[in-house]
Amino acid sequence: MSQADAIILRRPRPPRALISLVAMIDVLLILLVFFMVTSTYLDLDMIPAVSQDENTASTAPLPDQRSRPLMIRIGADGRPFVRGQPLDDQMLAARVRDANGAPVLILPTGVAQTQSLVTVMDIATRAGAREVRVIRLEARP
Amino acid sequence: MRLTRPPARQAPETIVALIDVVFFLLVFFMLIGRMDATAPFEVSPPVAQTGSDMPAGGITLSVAADGAMAVDGLPVTDPMVPLLAGIRETPETLVRINAHHTAELRHILPLIAELEAAGAREVALVVTPSAP
Repeated sequence: MSQADAIILRRPRPPRALISLVAMIDVLLILLVFFMVTSTYLDLDMIPAVSQDENTASTAPLPDQRSRPLMIRIGADGRPFVRGQPLDDQMLAARVRDANGAPVLILPTGVAQTQSLVTVMDIATRAGAREVRVIRLEARP
Repeated sequence: MRLTRPPARQAPETIVALIDVVFFLLVFFMLIGRMDATAPFEVSPPVAQTGSDMPAGGITLSVAADGAMAVDGLPVTDPMVPLLAGIRETPETLVRINAHHTAELRHILPLIAELEAAGAREVALVVTPSAP
């Protein structure tokens, strides 16, 4: 084999360098940590205030017509009153239980806080009230 | 003459999978974070143990402690305008009232009565089972 017949070996061209992904991953991780830290998780529930469908449910047991509704007033400081008597949470629950499934009407004053109304509704529901309604006074036109 | 191949470059698949996962997590947290930020003011709903699960969708009316209101995150002076527009379009829309626990009821109860009179089928008070 002569010198002229020598085989020329070429290295394959090195593959083009990829655009560095490290910087992108860094940015992504920083964004991820940011959103993980700033997100707050609230377990939210709801209490129906208006439900038009419930009026059409004819299969619901009718409330005892003889039982008079239990009227609970809520004062400006959030305390519930029944027949003018201020009650704490246990006494209120006992009154609702004694009402024996009678409808519960809640009349809060306008300056009471939302939490006070929700607390009274919560106590009444836990004490077995099946029908809780919120009423309000309207100014005479 | 012995010719040896250069060692094959490692395939970059693992990095691509990592980026995919990180992207999914990023989008997830962005969406979750946006759901929380539906009011331009602080709203901490009242605590109640007997609330029921809240379905997704609907219109959210936020009420601040001082009575300021926002509908779906946009501050409004008269919330009934966007609420009535939404109810007229689809009366079965759930209207969620996300009121701060110290908001006074005089801001909220008249609104509920107006919504009911306007034909809203579902109005609900937002509560939380445990204080944040």
